[in-house]
Amino acid sequence: MRRGNKVWSWIVMIIGILYFFLPLVATFVFSLKARLGVLSFQAYVNIFTDPAFVYNFSFSVLWAVLTIVVGILLFVPTAFLIRLRVPKLRSAVEFITLLPFVIPAIVFVFGLVRTFSHPPLLIVNSPALLIAAYTVLSMPYMYRAIDTGLRAIDVRTLTEAGQSLGAGWGSILFDIILPNIRVAILSGAFLSFAIVIGEYILAQYLAKPAFAPYMAYMIQQKAYEPAAMAIISFALTWAAMGIISLVGRGTGQAQVGGGH
Amino acid sequence: MAHLTLSNICKQFAGTVAVQDFNLEVEKGEFVSFLGPSGCGKTTTLRMIAGFEVPTTGKVTIDDVDITDKAPNQRNVGMVFQAYALFPNMTVAQNIGYGLRIRRESKSEINRRVEEMLALIHLEQKGKSFPHQLSGGQQQRVALARALAIHPQVLLLDEPLSALDAKIRVSLRAEIRAIQRKLGITAIYVTHDQEEALSISDRIVVMYEGKIEQVGSPFEIYNFPQTAFVASFVGTLNTAAGEVVDPANHLLQIDGVQLQAAVGLDGKQKGDKVSIAIRPERFNFIAQERKANILDCQIENITFLGSVVRIQVSVGSNRFYMDTFNNPFLELPRIGDKGQITCSREAVLVLKA
Repeated sequence: MRRGNKVWSWIVMIIGILYFFLPLVATFVFSLKARLGVLSFQAYVNIFTDPAFVYNFSFSVLWAVLTIVVGILLFVPTAFLIRLRVPKLRSAVEFITLLPFVIPAIVFVFGLVRTFSHPPLLIVNSPALLIAAYTVLSMPYMYRAIDTGLRAIDVRTLTEAGQSLGAGWGSILFDIILPNIRVAILSGAFLSFAIVIGEYILAQYLAKPAFAPYMAYMIQQKAYEPAAMAIISFALTWAAMGIISLVGRGTGQAQVGGGH
Repeated sequence: MAHLTLSNICKQFAGTVAVQDFNLEVEKGEFVSFLGPSGCGKTTTLRMIAGFEVPTTGKVTIDDVDITDKAPNQRNVGMVFQAYALFPNMTVAQNIGYGLRIRRESKSEINRRVEEMLALIHLEQKGKSFPHQLSGGQQQRVALARALAIHPQVLLLDEPLSALDAKIRVSLRAEIRAIQRKLGITAIYVTHDQEEALSISDRIVVMYEGKIEQVGSPFEIYNFPQTAFVASFVGTLNTAAGEVVDPANHLLQIDGVQLQAAVGLDGKQKGDKVSIAIRPERFNFIAQERKANILDCQIENITFLGSVVRIQVSVGSNRFYMDTFNNPFLELPRIGDKGQITCSREAVLVLKA
């Protein structure tokens, strides 16, 4: 009975691996066929030497970094104060953070364009709108990562301990809370990075340079380079995930209390 | 002039009264414990002194300065928490020095004070350790040092020992008391453990349902409880319903048996109902002829409690405990034996309603 279960587990796992990895392996092999008759990294060389790639990719990285900074500045104090002062609002805020999963990006971007393309808020051409939109898009990952980090520490007692020693809100946030949720913040940051790098609709419709629209353009123009870019995109996402697990390993989340 | 004064403090949470009519004056260097069951308002009162809660009405003053509306970080009050609340990202030395760093003390002064505090708590070698590398008892000593490092006017301790095991609890409470005496700091200690409060305090404030039941020294609280609650909460106590027989001679009866008290019947009339209490250790078997407070009894149970043997007897419809010191030559009665027990007039406590 047990042996049978084990065999089925292996079968299911192998099917799963094949389902996920076969297209990836096929794409990778295809990306190596840019030169006739031999396998080479020519498609990758073409991409990395293309000034348009460097230009678009650099902007995507810039948008991602700005999104992470805005996300941290916005969501850390919000999650902290909600946990500390208005815990009753937590379920409502959690619902709001999930909205980007429910509202299609295309609906979101048309809403932004309609709202911000006429006075008094004529900012549709400003990169600030793109960053704000990316911040909303990354909210489910960033906010929830931070909230999970806060859940792992006794926020209230640590805050009160800080206050009793004379610390104000700024000192409490920067000296006590932030260092103790840094792993959670890093997780949220890398997830946000991966989301922004691969995001197409917002950048395309708000007409800003970015990696995904460049990739879409290349798909229409070339054969092997888009496959290479898909692999690069995957590699970036996995690298982000790898760094999250690397940073998270060993350090753990800080705990209040401890053994006797 | 009292060092710390709480005047007419009341606190309500969404219509629920947590603390009411709380008045207390604490002298400089005094060690006062708030003792009571869960939900009696002791921690809420402590948090109002710390500034984490604002009283609905009333005033908190330190050295005659009203601090009722001051933010917690603007009161010079140190606090030790039940959950230690050490900052996990900081070393022991950094934890102890944090309050001084916030006060922008010089680096040399911080180092000097941290070393002084580490010596005070006997953890000189642990300055570079992180909190998770320490035992619970060590963590709580660090928390105490951190609270003391800032030279607080008042030290607040919120059930600081309840997360520790029994042996460490006993040694650490003695250490806390010794440090408090050495520094001469005013301390308020919250606990639900009566033994802890009795052993550590100059004065105990017994609280129940948001009100002060009795304030007194451990000796007074234990030996002369004024209310039925204090009598039942502090130590083991035999209680019984009685009736006043002769108030002038302090005579009363319980279940037909006459008892004489020393005090407590002033203003009572013959026939008034009263509650009486007698500590188990105040009972004795009758060894010689006595005229008053003789109770016929039957032995119901005998329990060894180490240094003490607790004997349960029935006296009419009442059941009383009697404690006697254990020794190898003690001759104990057998269960079912009949006999007589007695107690002095002073042992009969007439409780307030």
